[in-house]
Amino acid sequence: MTIGARARTKGGAPTLPLLELHALTKAFRGLVAVQDVNAVLESGEIVGLIGPNGAGKTTLFNLISGLHRPTQGRILLDGREITALPPYARSLLGIGRTFQIVRPFAMTVLENVMVPILARDGNPTRAKDAAQEILELVALDRAANERPENLTLAMRKRLEVARALATRPKLLLLDEVLAGLNPTEVEQQLPLIRVLRDKGITVLMIEHIVDAVMSVCDRVLVMDQGHLIADGSPGEVVRNPAVIQAYLGEEVPGA
Amino acid sequence: MKRQRVAAVLAGAAAVLLPVFVRSQFALDMAILTLFYVGLTAAWNLVTFSGRLSLGHAAFFGLGAYTATLLFVRAGIPPVIGAAVAVVVSLLGGLLMVLVMVRLRGPFFTLASIAFAEVLQLVATHWRSLTDGSVGLHIPFRPGWQNLTFTSKEPYYYIALALAVLSVWLGHRLYHSSTGYFLRAASSDEEACQALGVNIKRAQAAALLWSAGMTGLLGVFYAYFIYVIEPTTFFSMELFSLQPALNGIIGGVGTVWGPVLGALVMTPLGEYLRTFLGAMQQGLHFLVYGLVLLVIVRVLPGGFMSIITGVRARNDDRGSGANERGRSYTAAS
Ligand SMILES: Nc1ncnc2c1ncn2[C@@H]1O[C@H](COP(=O)(O)OP(=O)(O)OP(=O)(O)O)[C@@H](O)[C@H]1O
Ligand SMILES: [Mg+2]
Repeated sequence: MTIGARARTKGGAPTLPLLELHALTKAFRGLVAVQDVNAVLESGEIVGLIGPNGAGKTTLFNLISGLHRPTQGRILLDGREITALPPYARSLLGIGRTFQIVRPFAMTVLENVMVPILARDGNPTRAKDAAQEILELVALDRAANERPENLTLAMRKRLEVARALATRPKLLLLDEVLAGLNPTEVEQQLPLIRVLRDKGITVLMIEHIVDAVMSVCDRVLVMDQGHLIADGSPGEVVRNPAVIQAYLGEEVPGA
Repeated sequence: MKRQRVAAVLAGAAAVLLPVFVRSQFALDMAILTLFYVGLTAAWNLVTFSGRLSLGHAAFFGLGAYTATLLFVRAGIPPVIGAAVAVVVSLLGGLLMVLVMVRLRGPFFTLASIAFAEVLQLVATHWRSLTDGSVGLHIPFRPGWQNLTFTSKEPYYYIALALAVLSVWLGHRLYHSSTGYFLRAASSDEEACQALGVNIKRAQAAALLWSAGMTGLLGVFYAYFIYVIEPTTFFSMELFSLQPALNGIIGGVGTVWGPVLGALVMTPLGEYLRTFLGAMQQGLHFLVYGLVLLVIVRVLPGGFMSIITGVRARNDDRGSGANERGRSYTAAS
């Protein structure tokens, strides 16, 4: 599909893509959740990943972040093979992620954000300050001493993003950080994603709210039943017959 | 904060002066045993920071006790050096348990820990040429600091106090270190923790090794305190695996001070019941002890610590008090 983009040039010098997925496959016993996916992410892009329920989107994130080992295929970050690295090592190399179902730790909001910072610099006092800064960025600073179970869903999603940001990622994988929020909350969250772009973070975001994807993404990948069925600009993708076919019976996104 | 410091100073002074005022041998013995269990429970507790439950700490305890005793009895090596070697041997035992821990979760790790201690007990029983089997070993009575053998109880009391303080201090340091944050995070969610860049296996290994080494050191102390050592006592599941776990759970696992409280309350309670009710009707003390346990677990699922954090949270409105809240135990991974 986009393997050819590998030697894309900027100002004459060839630049290495940030992330390369080569023939990535993941089978759970009989079920093939991700099948032969090839894709490339360039540094600085904001890319959407959409597809019907069960298409394999979250599984793809699990493969990239290392929680699952692929059955087949290779993953390269900055041209370096990371297929066999454990999740924590990939995080230290710059892959951050959020979880579709938020997974906060049973400690205060501030301490939650301190954990990834401490994994990079073990000093709790410095980590506290750094965590406070990140909480300000996602507008959670006033909830710093709360426990996650006392937060609204929108706030817990922001905590999930804050923790991922605290890993200082080059590549951030956002798994439905807008799902379950009301339209006002979605409006409030969107600027955050633009902030990420300004920070030079490459983003791959799974999202069902297609308007949101269309408004922030440079490119959209579409998955269906484990396959990557489309890869293009938001405008191209919604007109793609295969995409329309995949969503048949559901509302065609943005069309 | 200030009131806490005053309380700590008072408690410290009381602990140091206790043998001056308490002349009863029974009471002093009880105090020594209580401090010993404070140390043992606090050492056991380090593993629980990351949500793991060990019921096999008798393994490290027995390894420590046997190593120091064998070195003294068979080779005449003084207890101070023996204790250092004993800690190393307990750490090697800890290393074996680390290998198990990174592979097994939740109840499977707990079961494996029990098996580990049971196997060591069998080895100590059947390797007669080394350990004299179930006959056991006697530490010869040659009083003096160099032999860690004393004619009065006071020195044992102060050693037990020092070991208890060391063990609790280790827990306090670990809890507030970066490793402590990792362990507590992992007790909620190991996967999410790793996805944030935390090498959780390394953190858990560190906690288990500190725990094993400290437990081994307490084994050395106990061997010299009762100077007869044999497999069923020193690898006893009931005394050195279950009892610290029970104290810890009653006090509040996942906190630094909960298990200390647990040991401070449960040890004298258990001893009194055994001494007074045990004489009345065999088994009666078990019944009463069991009932007390049930009531505590029903009323305070988070352990004694949940009373304190509850009061503190009400006092400071919200915030800091929440940090050390106890969690009820569900043998989860
Ligand atoms: N750990 C697992 N073990 C077995 N099957 C799994 C596992 N994880 C995912 N699957 C299966 O793989 C398929 C893809 O799941 P995945 O969660 O990746 O879908 P998704 O695109 O993220 O869907 P959604 O939009 O509902 O989040 C599903 O059929 C799912 O049941
Ligand atoms: Mg999903």
